[in-house]
Amino acid sequence: MQASSNLLNWILWTPFIGVIGVLLIPKSKENLIRWWALVNTAITFVLTLVLYSKFDTSVPGMQEAFNVKIPWISSFNIFYNLGVDGISLPMIILTGLLFMLCILSSWTVTKQIKGYFALFLFLQTTVFGVFFALDFFLFYVYWEVMLIPMFFLIGIWGGENREYAAVKFFLYTFFGSILMLVGMVALYYASGKGVDSFSILALQGGRFSDLTIELFGTTLSFSKLFFIFLFIGFAIKVPVFPFHTWLPHAHVQAPTAVSVILAGVLLKMGTYGFLRIAFPIFPGASVHFADAIAWLGLINVIYGAFCAMAQTDVKKLVAYSSVSHMGFVMLGLAAMTVTGMNGAVLQMFNHGTSTAMMFLLIGILYERSHHRWIVRPDGSKGFGGLYTQLPKFTIIFIIAMFASMGLPGLSGFISEALIFLGIYEKYTTITVLALIGLLLGAAYLLWMFKRMFFGDVIEECKSYTDMNAREIAFMVPLCVAVVVFGIYPSPVLNVMRASVGKLVSMLATY
Amino acid sequence: MGQNYLASLSHFIPELLACLTMFGLILIEATYKEEEKGRGFLFLAAGIGLVSVLVFSFASLGKEPVAIFTNSLIIDSFSSLMKMVMVLGTIGAVYLASTSNDIEGNLKPEFIIMATGVLVGGMLLSSANNMLVLFIGIETLSILSYVLASLKKGDERSSEAGLKYSLYGGMSSGIMLFGMSHIFGVLGSINFTEMAVVLSTVDTTQIAILLPSFLFFFAGIGYKIACVPFHMWAPDVYEGSPLPVTAFFSIVPKVAGLAALIRVSQTFFANPGALNIGWVGVLSIVAALTMTVGNVSAIGQRSVKRMLAYSSISHAGMMLMGVLVISELGTRSVIFYSVTYLFMTLAAFYVVSFVSDKYGNDHFERFTGLAFRYPLMAIALCIVMFSLAGIPPFSGFVAKFHIFTALLAKKYYVLAVIAGINSVVSLYYYLKIVRLMMLKDPESEEAISGFNIFNQGAVVALTIPVVVLGLFWEKLIVLADGAKVFLQ
Repeated sequence: MQASSNLLNWILWTPFIGVIGVLLIPKSKENLIRWWALVNTAITFVLTLVLYSKFDTSVPGMQEAFNVKIPWISSFNIFYNLGVDGISLPMIILTGLLFMLCILSSWTVTKQIKGYFALFLFLQTTVFGVFFALDFFLFYVYWEVMLIPMFFLIGIWGGENREYAAVKFFLYTFFGSILMLVGMVALYYASGKGVDSFSILALQGGRFSDLTIELFGTTLSFSKLFFIFLFIGFAIKVPVFPFHTWLPHAHVQAPTAVSVILAGVLLKMGTYGFLRIAFPIFPGASVHFADAIAWLGLINVIYGAFCAMAQTDVKKLVAYSSVSHMGFVMLGLAAMTVTGMNGAVLQMFNHGTSTAMMFLLIGILYERSHHRWIVRPDGSKGFGGLYTQLPKFTIIFIIAMFASMGLPGLSGFISEALIFLGIYEKYTTITVLALIGLLLGAAYLLWMFKRMFFGDVIEECKSYTDMNAREIAFMVPLCVAVVVFGIYPSPVLNVMRASVGKLVSMLATY
Repeated sequence: MGQNYLASLSHFIPELLACLTMFGLILIEATYKEEEKGRGFLFLAAGIGLVSVLVFSFASLGKEPVAIFTNSLIIDSFSSLMKMVMVLGTIGAVYLASTSNDIEGNLKPEFIIMATGVLVGGMLLSSANNMLVLFIGIETLSILSYVLASLKKGDERSSEAGLKYSLYGGMSSGIMLFGMSHIFGVLGSINFTEMAVVLSTVDTTQIAILLPSFLFFFAGIGYKIACVPFHMWAPDVYEGSPLPVTAFFSIVPKVAGLAALIRVSQTFFANPGALNIGWVGVLSIVAALTMTVGNVSAIGQRSVKRMLAYSSISHAGMMLMGVLVISELGTRSVIFYSVTYLFMTLAAFYVVSFVSDKYGNDHFERFTGLAFRYPLMAIALCIVMFSLAGIPPFSGFVAKFHIFTALLAKKYYVLAVIAGINSVVSLYYYLKIVRLMMLKDPESEEAISGFNIFNQGAVVALTIPVVVLGLFWEKLIVLADGAKVFLQ
C-alpha cells in the first residue's frame, strides 16, 4: 500500500526533478537536454499508466489508496492533499501523453533550449498539481503558478506578436483567478474555519445552500454569488463566450508544443474546475444556472464555428474550433445527466487528442512553409495540392480532421453523441441548434482541407518534404488513440463512470 | 502597570540605541576631512548600531507588554515587530546608499544620520500611546524627511521635492494638531488609555465634534502613509529624491504610519457605534481610492522608480484594508504584508538603483534584455514583480491572501473585489518590466558595474525570503499572531 500511495507524489514531482536536471546540464549540451527531457516525460507517462493499471474503476469518488495528505499550514488547516478519481484520471493520462509527445515535437526548437525545456517540464508539474489537488488552496496555488511558465513560453518562443498574446493571456486568467481567490476565502469562513475548510471534498454537497449575504441592503444567496465568481474564474480558462478573446491570440502566437498543451490540457482545466469545484460545492446554484451554462455552451459551439470558418490563418482556425468544441463540453456539463456528463468528460479527453494532432500537424507544416496562410492577405493561395506533395502528412491530417469533426468510428463522434443523448430531453431546442454547429464544424474543416490539400500544387509547396521519422513517431500514438477510442471507448468510459455517476446523483437532488 | 522612569528606560533600549547610533555617527562624521567623507567606516558603525537595535527589539518580542514613561509609550510585541521591520528597512537603505551613485559621496553620511533619525521617529510612532508622543514621532519623522528629500543639492527636482514635502507636511501637521486639540477638548486627556475610557461615555453632540476631529487627526497619519487624497506629494518626492531615499521613504514612514494607525483604530474604534462606522467607512473609501489611484497612475509611468513609487501607494491602500477591519486578523495581515513588502521593495529598488547608476536614468528601456546579460538579477526582479502582483508561490500572494481573510471575516465583499481587480491592474505594469527584461534582446552588451558579486548577493539575499515566505509562511504568521496590540 505504501508504494502505491506515493505514486501521485512521484507523478507530480518527476517533471520537477527534470527541471532541476535541465538546469544542471551545461547550456552547450543541447542534445543531452532534449534527451533528458524526453526520458523524464516518458517516465512520467509510464507512471501515469501504472496509476491507470492500479486504478479501481468500481470505486466512485476519490481512491483512498492513492491519497496523500500532509499538513502544510496547520494554523489555516491547509493541507498538501492529493488524490485521484475517475474524472481526473483521464486528464492525468492525457497530460502525461501530450507532454511526452510535445517534447519530441520540440526537438526543432533552437532558441534558449535550456530555458525552454526547464519551463516546459515545470509547466507539467503545475498541470499535474491542478488535477491532483484536493485542497482548494493548493489547487489555487498550482492554478496560478502555471501562468508563469506559460507566460514565458508564449512570450519568448512565440510568433511575431508574442508579447501582446502572453500579456493578454496572463492578465485574463489572473482576473478570473482573483475572483476565485475571493470565493475561496469566503468559503473558508462560510465553512466555519474548521479542519476541513479548504478541503475540496469536505466543502462539497450543498452545505452553503441556505446561506445569504447582505450587500448594500439587498440579500443575495451566498451560493449563487460565489458560484458566479468561480464560474468566471473557470470560464475564462475554458474559454466560454464572452471570455474567449485571449484564446486566438495565445494560440496563434504560442510555439507549436505550447499550443498543443494549451488546447489539449489547459482548456480542460476550466471544465475540470466545474466538475471538481464549482458543481459539487454549489450544487443548488449549478442547477439553477444550468440553463445559462447550456446557452453559453451553445453560443460557443455556433460562434466558434462561424469564427473558424472566417479565418485565413489555419492555426487560428483550429483555435476557434477549440472554442466550438469546448462548447460541446459545456453542453454536456449543463445536461447534468449521467450520459451527458460522461460525454463531457470523454469529450475533454478526445478533444485533447484530436486538437493536439491538429496543432502538431500545423506545426510540422509550419516548419516547412514558415507561414500558415490558407489564403494570404493579398488573396493568393498559401497552400495548394499538398495531397500530392506530402502523402503521409495528408493521411494523418485526414484522421485528425475527421476525429475533430466527429466522424463515426473516430473518437470525437462518441463523445459528441453521448453529449447530445444526454441533453436532448432537457434542452431539445439547444440540441437541435447545436447540431447545426456540428454541421458547421464539418464545413469549415472540409473547406480548409479543400483549399490546402487539393487543387494545383503551388510553386512554393513543391520543395516541401514529407514527415520524417521523428514526426511520425509523435503522431502515431495520437492516431492510435483517436482510432481506438473511436471504436472502443470503454477503457476511458469505465474509469470515469463511477465518479461521474456520484456527481450526477448529488446534483440530481437539487 | 506604572513604571518609574529608570525602570522605563530598560524597556526603551532599542530607541536609545538608535539615538546613540545617530549621535555616534555625527561624531564620527565630524572627524573626517571633507574629501574623506562617505568612506567605509561610517557605514560599518551605522551597521553595527542598527543591528544592535534590531537585536534588542527582537529580545523584547514575546515579553509582557508594558506601558512606560507614565503610560505615554507602550512596548508590546506588535510595536517591537513593526520596529524590526523599520530597522531592517533602514539597514537596507543604508546599504543601498553605500553603493549608489545617486547620493554624492560627501552627502552619504548625512543620509545615514538622518535616516537613523527618521527611524527613531518611526519607532516612537509605533509605540505611541499619547497624542503628544504621536505628534512628536510624526514630526521627528517628517522634519528629517524633508531634508532627505532635497539631498541632491544641485538638482532642481530634488529641491522641489523637499519644498513640496515640507509644505504638504506642515499643512497636514497643522490640520492634525487642530483635530487633536478638539479631541482633547471633548475628552479631556491626551493619553490614549484615558481617552478610550471617556470615549465610551460620550453623547451625540460630542460625537458630532469628535468625528470630524478624528478625520483631521487622520490627515496627519494619512499623509505619512501617502494615501489618497493626501498622496499628491508622493510621486514628486519619490521622483526627485535620490534612489536610496526613495527606497527608504517607501518603507519606513509607511510602516510607522500604519503602526500608529492600527493602535489608534484598535484603541478608539473597536466598539461598535457611530464612531466605528464613521472611521471604518472613511478608511474603506480611502483604501479603495488609494489602491485604485496608485495603480492607475503607475500604468503610464516611464521611469521604473516612479512606477514603484505609485505602486507603493497602492500597496499602502492594500495594507490600509488590514487596518480598517480593526481586528487581530487585520493586524496580523498588516504585519505579514509589511514584512514581505519590505523584502520585495528593497530588492526591486536595489536592482533599479544599480541599473540607474549605470545609465543615469531608470527608464523602462534600460532594463531591456537584462535576462541575457545578468540572468540572476533578471530572475530575481521577475520574482519580485510577480510577488508584488500577488502571484503564488511568492510571499506577496500570501500577504494578499491574508488581507482577504481579514476583509472577508468581516464580510467586506465589495472591498475584497476592488482589491482583487486592483491586483490585476497592477500585474499589467509589473509585467511590463518583466516583458522587457525577459522577452527582448539586449540593446547593448555593456557591463553594469553595480552588479558586482556583493550587490548581486544582496539582491539574492533579499529575494530568498520572498520565495520562502510564499511557501512556508506558518512560522511568520504564528509570530505575527502573537504580536497583538496591547489594549488596557
